[in-house]
Amino acid sequence: MIRNYFKTAWRNFWKNKTFSFINIAGLAIGISAALVIYLIVQFEFSYDTFWKDKSRVYRVVTDMTFPGGSVFKNSGVEIPLPVAARNEMTGIETFTHFITANDPKVTVPVAGSKSPAVFKHQKGIMYADEFYFSMFQYNWLAGSPQAALKDPSQVVLTEDRAKSYFGNIPFENMIGRQINYEDSIQTIVTGIVKQLPDKATDFRFDEFISISTIFNTNLKNQYVVDEWNSVNSNSQLFIKLSPGTKPGEVQAQFAALRNKYRSKENNEKDDTKHLLQPLSDIHFNADYGDLSHRRAHKPTLYGLMAVAVFLLLLGCINFINLTTAQSSQRAKEIGIRKTLGSSKATLALQFLSEIFLLTLIATIVSIAVTPWLLKIFSDFIPPEINFSSVNQPHVWIFLALLVVVMTLISGFYPSWILTKFRPVTVLKNQLHPGASQGRKAWLRKSLTVTQFVIAQFLVIATLVVSKQISYSLNKDLGYKKDAIVYFYTPHNFYSNKKDDRRFALLEKIKSIPAVKEISLGGEAPAHSGAVSSTFKINTGKNEIELMVETINADPAYFDIYGLKLLSGKFPDKSDTAKEYIINETYAKALGFSNPADAIGKFVNRGSFSLPIVGVLKDFHTKSTHSKIGPLIYSSSDRNSYMMHIALASQENSPGLWKKTLGLIEKEYKKLYPDDEFQYNFFDETIAAFYKKEQDVKSLLNWSAGLCIFISCLGLLGLVIYTTNTRVKEIGIRKVLGASVTQIVTLLSKDLISLVMVAFLIAAPLSWLAMNKWLQDFAYRTNISWWVFAACGISMLVLAFFILGIRTVKAAMANPVKSLRTE
Amino acid sequence: MLELKGIYKWVNTGNHRTFLLKDVDLTVKEGEFISIMGPSGSGKSTLLNVIGMLDEFNEGEYNFLNESVHKLKEKQRSALYKQYIGFVFQAYHLIDELTVYENIETPLIYQNIKSSDRKAMVADILDRFQIVGKKDLFPTQLSGGQQQLVGIARALIANPKLLLADEPTGNLNSKQGEEIMNLFKQLNHEGMTIIQVTHSEKNAAYGSHIINLLDGMIQNN
Repeated sequence: MIRNYFKTAWRNFWKNKTFSFINIAGLAIGISAALVIYLIVQFEFSYDTFWKDKSRVYRVVTDMTFPGGSVFKNSGVEIPLPVAARNEMTGIETFTHFITANDPKVTVPVAGSKSPAVFKHQKGIMYADEFYFSMFQYNWLAGSPQAALKDPSQVVLTEDRAKSYFGNIPFENMIGRQINYEDSIQTIVTGIVKQLPDKATDFRFDEFISISTIFNTNLKNQYVVDEWNSVNSNSQLFIKLSPGTKPGEVQAQFAALRNKYRSKENNEKDDTKHLLQPLSDIHFNADYGDLSHRRAHKPTLYGLMAVAVFLLLLGCINFINLTTAQSSQRAKEIGIRKTLGSSKATLALQFLSEIFLLTLIATIVSIAVTPWLLKIFSDFIPPEINFSSVNQPHVWIFLALLVVVMTLISGFYPSWILTKFRPVTVLKNQLHPGASQGRKAWLRKSLTVTQFVIAQFLVIATLVVSKQISYSLNKDLGYKKDAIVYFYTPHNFYSNKKDDRRFALLEKIKSIPAVKEISLGGEAPAHSGAVSSTFKINTGKNEIELMVETINADPAYFDIYGLKLLSGKFPDKSDTAKEYIINETYAKALGFSNPADAIGKFVNRGSFSLPIVGVLKDFHTKSTHSKIGPLIYSSSDRNSYMMHIALASQENSPGLWKKTLGLIEKEYKKLYPDDEFQYNFFDETIAAFYKKEQDVKSLLNWSAGLCIFISCLGLLGLVIYTTNTRVKEIGIRKVLGASVTQIVTLLSKDLISLVMVAFLIAAPLSWLAMNKWLQDFAYRTNISWWVFAACGISMLVLAFFILGIRTVKAAMANPVKSLRTE
Repeated sequence: MLELKGIYKWVNTGNHRTFLLKDVDLTVKEGEFISIMGPSGSGKSTLLNVIGMLDEFNEGEYNFLNESVHKLKEKQRSALYKQYIGFVFQAYHLIDELTVYENIETPLIYQNIKSSDRKAMVADILDRFQIVGKKDLFPTQLSGGQQQLVGIARALIANPKLLLADEPTGNLNSKQGEEIMNLFKQLNHEGMTIIQVTHSEKNAAYGSHIINLLDGMIQNN
C-alpha cells in the first residue's frame, strides 16, 4: 500500500513540475540552513560537556571594583590563593590551579648533536599542579597521573606534541627526555597523554609543566607568587564542589579567605571578589575570557536558530499555500478514491506520504549542497566543522526528526482540507475552483502575509545594521586612520637586560623615502583592550581618583594620528613620564568646564607628582559601542615598543606601500632575526571593531535574501494558480473588451495588497527591534524614513515583477482559445 | 436486497425549500436490472447516489442487506458500500495518475487484500474484459469506450453485490454504448444486481424494470 502511495506521489510530482520545484526549493533552503545551523549550534553547545561531573566543576574568577565604580572582570585568581584555599576551605572535592604560559620558545636537546631542535612561540603550554589530571581525565600512554606533575621541572606532553619533539619512538622511551623553555627552564618528560577525543573543548593544551617549577625557579619573581593584591588572568583555579555544596557558600568562604590574607595597609574596603563560573559558561562568557581559544556568542547562536526556524517555516508556508490552492485539481481523484472505499485516514496518509517524499527529496538536496554552504559561510562556522560532521548519528536523527516534523507541519492542514471533500460534490463537478474561497483563501492570505512580514523585517534589519556600520566607519572619529601602519618591536619581559634595538630601527625606518613620519609609542589611539590605572589628581578643590586609560606617545604620535589640541601643549619627548596630556572627557570628569583650567594641575603618582600640560580634543578610543572614557598620555620612550608609521600616498605609484613595508621588514629582520614581522593597518584595526556587526550584517543579508527568494517562489506559485483557474474569466473579460493592463491589474491586485499589508506589519515591528539593537551603541545612527521606503518600494517592485511573469502572459492570451477549451 | 421507504431529500434556498426526492419508495430484489429514467433535474442521479450511500437524505428509511443505513455512522456506511457496491460513472472517473492496472487494483487496496491475491484478481478481470494489452497504459491513452470498460472492470473487481451506473454510455458513441449495455446484460445474467440511470429508451430496455422519475417523485413502478 505504501509503495502504491509513493508511486502516485512520484507521478504527481512529475505532473506538476513547477509546483514540485517550488516546494522542493523552498523546503531545501530551509532544511540546508537548519542542517548547517544545527551543526554549528550543536557543536558550540557541546563544548566541554564530556568531562566527568561537569556540573560540579567551576572556575574561580575575580571581579575588581575600581574607583569611579568601574568593574574589571578577570578570569584568574591571585597566585597564592589556590594553596591557601586547598588548606582551609571545605565542601570542595578537588582543586586544580594552573597558569597558562605566553607561547614560550621551546628547545629540545637532540642526542648526538650540539644544536637542539628549536620551536618558537609554542602554543598550548601551561604550568599545572598535580591535581589537574584528577579533575580533568586524560588517557595515559606513559607515566601516571599520580606522579607526573608532583615535583618541580616535570612536564607531561600530549601524543602529537611529543611526536613533534621526539619523532616516532615508543612513548616509554620519551619518559626522561629533556625539554627546555625560554633557554632557562629545564624539564624532564614524566608522562604522555592522548589528545582529548572531542574537538569541542576549550582545554587545548599540549604541554603541562609542573606548577612547582614556577615556585622553585626565578619565575617566582616574574609571577609574584605571594602577592595577594594582584590578579593574573593566566592564573586559573578550577574547583569541583562536593555533592550538595552550593556555589554561594563557596563564594563566602573565598571572601573570608581574602579577608584573612590580603594586606590591609590603608584599611581599605576589599575591592576584589571571587565568583564561581560554571564550566558550561566558559565557552560563552565574554566577560572573563576563555582558555586562549575561540569563544561562542550565545545571542548569535539563538539568532541563527531563529533564522533556521524562519526559513523552515517559510518553506512549509509555501507548501501549504500551493497545495491548498491546487487542492480542487486533486478533488476528482479524492472523490473517486472515496467512492472506491478509501477512508479519510487512508487518504490523509496518502497525502502525508506524498509530502514525506517531497521533504525527503528536499533533504537529500540539502545534504548535497552542504559542502558548498560550509564554504560560503566559513566565517561563521567553527573551523572544526566540515562535511564529515554530517555523518554522525545525532545529525541523522536530527534530519529524520526534521523530515517528520516538516511533513506533519506542512501536510496536516492540506490533507485535512483535501480529505474533507465530499465525493458527490466533486463527481457532480459542483466544486468550482473558487467555490471554497472564504476560510481557505483567508488562511492562504495570512500565511503569505506572514512570509512577507518575515522577509521585509529582515530587509529593514539589514539596512539598519549596514547603516550603523557605515556610520561607525565614516563618522569623524577624531583621528586620521588612513595610510597608517603600526607594529610591535619584540621585547623580552623576562629579562632585565636593556634592549635598545628599537631606537636603531626607528632611525633606519626614518630614512626610507615613503615614510612620512614615524613615532615610537604605546597603543594606537583606538585598539581593542586597554591599559588602565587609577590616577589621583588634585583639582585645587579636592582630590579625584579615577580609573583612566593610559597610553605612551612621543610628539610625532599626535601628528601622525592628527589628534587635536584643545589647550596647552603636547608632552615633550622623554625617556620616562615627565608630563601628562589628558582628554576632554577626563578634564570634564575632574570638574573643569573649561578644559584649559586643567593645565598646571598635578597628577599624584604616590611619592612624586607630575603636571598636566595639555588637553586633547575627544576622540573614539573604542568602537561606537562605548562612550568615550577618560584618557591620559605621557611620553615614555623606555616603556614604548610600538612603531607608528605614516606612509606617503600611493595614489600615483601603486604598490608603494607594499614596497615600503618590504624595506621596513628588511631593516626589522636585521635587528630581530628571530622574530616575525607582523604589522597592522590602522583603518583595518578600526574596521575589525565591527567584525561582530559585519557578521550580523552578512548573516542578515543571507537570511533576508533567502526569505525573499522563498516568499517570491510562493508568490509565483500563487499567481500561476490564480491565472490558471481564471483562464475562462480572463477570456470572457477580454471578449467584453478589457485591456491587457486592466487584466494584469485585476490579477495582481489581491497579491500586491498582501505584500502591502505585510509591509504595514513589518515596519513597526522592525522599527522596535532595530531601535533596541541600536541602544547597544553609545554613538548611533538614526533609523531614517528612507530605510522603510526603500524596503517597501523594492518589495512592491519585486512583487510586480514576479506577478508580471504570469499575469501578462495570461492577459495576452487569445480569448478564443481559452473559451473553446471549455 | 434493498428497500427505500418514504425517502425525502431537499435543499433550502433562502426560505424556499426545493425537493430533490419526494416520498420515494423502492424495493430492489437480488438479480434485478433496474433502469431509472426521467428528464434532466428529475433527481435520477440523486436517487442513485442515495442508494450508493454517497449522498444523505433528510427523511425516510433505507435498508440495505438487512442493515438500516439511515442509522449508520459515516464510517460504517463507507465500510458497507466499500464491500457491496460498485460504481460506474458517465465520465468514467478514472484516476489519471494511475495506469489501467493500478486503477483496477485500487479498490482492493482499500479493502486490505493481500498483494498476491490482488495480482490474481486483477489479472483475472483484465483477461475477462480482454484488456490485458492495455494494462500499463494511462487513462488518457485510451478511447472513451475503453476507459468505461476499465471503469466497469474497476467497479466489479471487488465482487460487489450491486452495480450502480450513472449514465454509463452518456459519453460514448452508439456502437461503444451498445457494447457496454451488452456487457451489463451479461453481468445481470450471471446474477449481478444492477441499477442504471439513463436517458435513452433503448438502453433502458436492457433492464428488467424501468422507474420513471419526475421532480423527485416516482411516477409508476
